[in-house]
Amino acid sequence: MIPNAPEIGKLLFIICFWICAIFLPVWLVSWAVGVLLPMLLEQGSPSMAMTATAETLRALTPIISVMVFIPINAMFMVLYERRALALFTVRLGPNRVGPDGLLQTAADAVKLLFKEDITPRGADAFMFTLAPIIFFAPSIFGALPLLAAITNNHSLYQITNLPTGIFYILAAASLPVVALVMAGWSSNNKYSLVGGLRAAAQAISYEIPLVLSLVTVCLMAGSLDVVKIAQQQDGGILNWNIAGGGALRGLDKAIQTKLGVETTPLITPQQSSDPTETPVAAPTTFEEVIHQYYPFEFLSYISAGVLIFCSFILLGLYLTGACAEINRIPFDLPEAESELVSGYNTEYSGIKFAIFFLAEFTNLFIVSSIATVMFLGGGDNPIPQWLLNKMPLEPIQKSLGAILSPFINGLHLIDPDTFWAAFWVIFKVYTFVFIAILIRGTLPRFRIDQLMDFGWKRLVPLSLIAFLVVVFARVLVVCHG
Amino acid sequence: MVSDTTSRPLKTDEMIINMGPQHPATHGVLRMVLTLDGEIVTHAEAVIGHLHRAQEWQGQNRTWFQYQALIDRVDYLSGMFTSWALARSAEVLDGCEVPERAEFLRVIVSEMNRITSHLLWLGTYLIDLGAMFGFPFYPFREREKLLDLFEEIAGQRMMFNYIRIGGVQRDPKPDWFTRLRAFTKEFPDRVDEYEAIVTENPIFLKRTKGIGILPLELAMDYGVTGPSLRASGNNLDLRKTKPYSIYPKLEFKVHTLDKPEGGDTWDRYILRIRELRESTEIIKQCLDMIPEGPIMNKKQIAGMRVKAGEGFSAVESPRGTLGCYIISDGSDKPFRFRWRNPSFCNLAVVGEMLVGSPIADIMAIFGSVDVILPDVDR
Repeated sequence: MIPNAPEIGKLLFIICFWICAIFLPVWLVSWAVGVLLPMLLEQGSPSMAMTATAETLRALTPIISVMVFIPINAMFMVLYERRALALFTVRLGPNRVGPDGLLQTAADAVKLLFKEDITPRGADAFMFTLAPIIFFAPSIFGALPLLAAITNNHSLYQITNLPTGIFYILAAASLPVVALVMAGWSSNNKYSLVGGLRAAAQAISYEIPLVLSLVTVCLMAGSLDVVKIAQQQDGGILNWNIAGGGALRGLDKAIQTKLGVETTPLITPQQSSDPTETPVAAPTTFEEVIHQYYPFEFLSYISAGVLIFCSFILLGLYLTGACAEINRIPFDLPEAESELVSGYNTEYSGIKFAIFFLAEFTNLFIVSSIATVMFLGGGDNPIPQWLLNKMPLEPIQKSLGAILSPFINGLHLIDPDTFWAAFWVIFKVYTFVFIAILIRGTLPRFRIDQLMDFGWKRLVPLSLIAFLVVVFARVLVVCHG
Repeated sequence: MVSDTTSRPLKTDEMIINMGPQHPATHGVLRMVLTLDGEIVTHAEAVIGHLHRAQEWQGQNRTWFQYQALIDRVDYLSGMFTSWALARSAEVLDGCEVPERAEFLRVIVSEMNRITSHLLWLGTYLIDLGAMFGFPFYPFREREKLLDLFEEIAGQRMMFNYIRIGGVQRDPKPDWFTRLRAFTKEFPDRVDEYEAIVTENPIFLKRTKGIGILPLELAMDYGVTGPSLRASGNNLDLRKTKPYSIYPKLEFKVHTLDKPEGGDTWDRYILRIRELRESTEIIKQCLDMIPEGPIMNKKQIAGMRVKAGEGFSAVESPRGTLGCYIISDGSDKPFRFRWRNPSFCNLAVVGEMLVGSPIADIMAIFGSVDVILPDVDR
């Protein structure tokens, strides 16, 4: 019997409530800007100007939906974190504002907005103001390629797709450090300065394992395009990069052949667009498929196992590096409260502090979504295709389709594929967020020299070794095409 | 020009940082003047006195009865011990006998208080180490139960005014003993829980092992007492070395760590964990042995008087030797007071322990000594 079942229930309720509260406005705004307004514009008088405006609106949809999404989502994550921490630490958490504390963060945000915005004497006012903006901006722009990946390359979000998406994301993710140094320097406070410099040192040393782990994943996938990486992993948990970067794809296919299941997808219709996959001369038996994907028999099986092991190591490396990158416990040295008061944001108050706060949680969300796209298959559902086809989902799907089809066909109100993709992305991202909160609720903080030791002497060699092992192991298995 | 700048050694300067009095981790209002070379402390000095309330002067200007209620505030985490030190000195002067049941109750409540004090230390120490949210609340869960018990017998949760000159204030109901017994039964499991999270945690070990080493010589030079001294290898514990009250009748161990090079912060942590278990054992024994009888031998009235003379007595508080020296002229007010507070001596040595450690270890070392600032400044 779980002693704190009511609290867990309440936490789940909060999650459900807020996910609805996040999705409705984001979906409404993106639908209005991306579908409704252009449609109305084009219906009236099909002039050049109108068409151009409609196209611009469509192109702006990703940015606008991200701008709507990020503040609401950060507000939810603060509440989620506080309630989850309360659950871990035998407390109640915020439960007074609104029904069961659901509006607590809204109240906090209003409070922060109305606080006096202080610039300390002797501070470099320009840099002091600029720092939170530079800290926050990359979290908006860095998220854009992910949008295409997690919405299955939906036509409205295609514009954010880049051929070298992961480079862009990583470049954007390393920008906030500049802002931290700026904030530390311009505050004219010794604690802030130490905090800012610590942030720089930490980011430099932990970005290497972080990037190396992602590079290894790109190597497994054979692409730098996040959309492609996400789409490759379609078709259940066995195809995800966490399962050896496609090392189990052969097994998945073989089981499919054995069960004689048609590979027509039910929920996620996007098939791998990889052209090399189609000319495979339709092997008919389990053994044939296995042989096709694991050509070297025993050696191939071994290397598939090695790949799976390596991808778990890579996920661990990525999460560790990401924790350090976004300054969360146990790597929260730049704002170590018991040493540096509050580090780089000691002198900040009011709206500037709110922006720092917002950006911290947004960064957490973004590193979790990178992990989701790179390791957990983006918007793919975890159930393998052959199992999904066995399930009696047909009537549900049909009745749902009957209800939704007027909307889908008429106003493009709901797109089931995008909806399910978004659902699974949110589910996976919040799993990572939960892990981060759990770590925060458990571990003490590293000391700065131990942090450097851990980064350079453990993580960097480990990521290099993983890289090398993957290079050799991947040759022996047919992965993603 | 270029060669000139490269040949010259890099100009470095020492930075002076004022840590506190408004710093989130200084456990109150302590100001540390730190001279830093990079991130390494080269000199540290504790500036005290922000909390000075002239406790001794206040005692000389209040009646015995009034001062009893005030004295819990000296060390707000272990009020039972300050009350007990005052009561014992006055009893030495007055020559009044304390009933045996009262002595047992005193031992029970003060060992309970030792547990609450160590539990609070445990939680806040993990905060000092940066575990801001998770673990610190687990010790508070158990502390809450003890505070409820305190509230029932003393009417207050922290400022008890329970141990009085000549005995104790109230006799607990039988139900109180049952609840306390239930607590002592479950508490060792809870301590196991803390240890499971903390003791072998690799980050915790990294942060505490080998830092803040306090050699025995240095500790004795500065007059350090309590767990900090015992972790460095001396077995000074007034409950054993200078037994008072009913401690000779009880069976318990004074934990020391045999560390020739001096105890580090982890030793001080593990020693307090062991003391938690030992105090539970003492409470269990007392609950078994406690006799029936009166609990107070002196009339608690506003004009209470204590016979003229000088008296000193000390008790073993959670932080070390807590002494109280009194001169009485036989009136309803004491003539002269002097407290010997363990935190004062323990804080004095922190400055020496900090030298050579990085800025991140300051709070790990300072926290491990367990200093209560009102106890330093009085």
